[in-house]
Amino acid sequence: MAAPMVKVSRGWSGLALGVRIAVLRLPGLTQVRWSRYGPEYQDPQIDKEYYRKPLAQLTEEETYERELRKTQVIKAAPATKTSSVFEDPVISKFTNMMMKGGNKILARSLMTQTLEAVKRKQFEKYHAASAEEQATIERNPYTIFHQALKNCEPVIGLVPILKGGHFYQVPVPLAERRRRFLAMKWMITECREKKPRRMLMPEKLSQELLEAFCNRGPVIKRKHDMHKMAEANRALAHYRWW
Amino acid sequence: MSTGIMLKGMTRLVSRVHKLDPGRFSHLGTQAPQCPVAHLDNQVPTERTRAISRTLENDPAKHGEQHVGQHYNISIQELKTVFPHGLPPRFVMQVKTFNEACLMVRKPALELLHYLKNTNFAHPAVRYVLYGEKGTGKTLSLCHIIHFCAKQDWLILHIPDAHLWVKNCRDLLQSTYNKQRFDQPLEASIWLKNFKTANERFLSQIKVQDKYVWNKRESTEKGSPLAEVVEQGIMRVRNATDAVGIVLKELKRQSSLGVFRLLVAVDGVNALWGRTTLKREDKSPITPEELALIYNLRKMVKNDWQGGAIVLTVSQTGSLFKPRKAYLPQELLGKEGFDTLDPFIPILVSNYNPKEFEGCIQYYLENNWLQHEKAHTEEGKKELLFLSNRNPGLLERLCAYL
Repeated sequence: MAAPMVKVSRGWSGLALGVRIAVLRLPGLTQVRWSRYGPEYQDPQIDKEYYRKPLAQLTEEETYERELRKTQVIKAAPATKTSSVFEDPVISKFTNMMMKGGNKILARSLMTQTLEAVKRKQFEKYHAASAEEQATIERNPYTIFHQALKNCEPVIGLVPILKGGHFYQVPVPLAERRRRFLAMKWMITECREKKPRRMLMPEKLSQELLEAFCNRGPVIKRKHDMHKMAEANRALAHYRWW
Repeated sequence: MSTGIMLKGMTRLVSRVHKLDPGRFSHLGTQAPQCPVAHLDNQVPTERTRAISRTLENDPAKHGEQHVGQHYNISIQELKTVFPHGLPPRFVMQVKTFNEACLMVRKPALELLHYLKNTNFAHPAVRYVLYGEKGTGKTLSLCHIIHFCAKQDWLILHIPDAHLWVKNCRDLLQSTYNKQRFDQPLEASIWLKNFKTANERFLSQIKVQDKYVWNKRESTEKGSPLAEVVEQGIMRVRNATDAVGIVLKELKRQSSLGVFRLLVAVDGVNALWGRTTLKREDKSPITPEELALIYNLRKMVKNDWQGGAIVLTVSQTGSLFKPRKAYLPQELLGKEGFDTLDPFIPILVSNYNPKEFEGCIQYYLENNWLQHEKAHTEEGKKELLFLSNRNPGLLERLCAYL
């Protein structure tokens, strides 16, 4: 995190919501969410390969960097970031978003059960298919997960901009992380709200992921709706000033 | 005889080659065998890479030390007849996903097989107790033994999980036979159906030696086949528990005559002597003796009959009011249970040894179960070893989502 996040505690009219400004201490503004670490703290290096490289093979810049790190203060690594080979930042982010009330154990078990369910469904399809189709069926739950979320990411988004006393929905290009966030948020909301009463989350999530992987299903539909709305409000595009 | 010695020599040579280069086989994939000495079985020579995780020897009677760590196949037909109930639910899911049922040959099961092959049927039945920590493979070892006995044409009396009989019973009736005891019609009828599927051919041969009157209109005459008693239990659910009691009594009496050999296999036998979560209408707790099914089963595991063997498992999973870390027979059975079962032969089922672990990973790789790219690498294997501590249950759960 290069710039600390500033969420304005007092309402500030004249500025659009959802736009983050890299503003440090200004009079009249108090930071609501902050990090306890000052700007001099460096991020920890989790990668095992970095430390396994023998000292003889390092280039000059790398030796310089290592010497420099010896003098710097480093933040503590969060408990969720491991040096495991199986770790995936997208899966971790998704698990955190699914978590309710800090119950990470439950969220993680739901995630693993979902991946297992996706795998078993694909294996069933594989065994039932003919030889030519077997080559096209993807059985890796991680590729399916990544591809499904990529398919759900919207390209363009709408932002309410205040002009002349009215809020207009203006089409705006979205940042990479905003797109990833929206894809995950839509997926989770869809699975929580639109599922039958006795169906469990892993089953519903696996269903939705497989449908999104094939570019169909309600989350893809929501993405297309967002695109259509942006297309319809095309005329308001000049309200954007950035 | 000489071919046997030759084979043993060849397997020792092959296993020595394995020891030389253990990491090699993970990269070989499905390459052709590199040396002509690969005749582990009397049949078609197997590929060297497949020999680590699979064996073509599908008859449990012929399993030996050389098959430890290898999986053998059980056909789906046999699975349906021999195991209508009794397989752990995760194993059933695995069978459904892979479209094949493969069981690993392990030392505790081989030890038990050796004892069973050398049993003296004139002596009273010997009790064997499989014990071990959670997830080490007690139930699947029991299933291996049951498969062996089914192949040898024994009569299998398999209670898949005794814990299911002492908890969560919706309908508890007062027993018709004895007013002090309680009946469990649902559990008894389900068990009778599965018992019938497993032992069809014996039921018509064994004849009942007493007359049993069910109610004013129905009774079973002396000399009629046992199948009638089982049918009665399945048809009239109210009499199912009594039918189970009759089946147990008759089998115990007649196994000593030597017509058939009886295997009593109970999973979670510590449920027979623990506490139950069932309550009477006045909310007072019921002890296990007051359940007719448990009372009759206790008589079955006493060693006062000949002509068979009793193989038991003690497990903490599913047990009531026992601490999570308890796994020894003394802790799980309690004083009463231990004294009743004493003397027995305890068999420890422990985690995989390195060879079995490699075999398991190889089996998953062959079935393409490990889909994560990093799982195929050495790093991934080391991490799986570390995370699971070579515990079979944990390894299975880990590999399920990787």
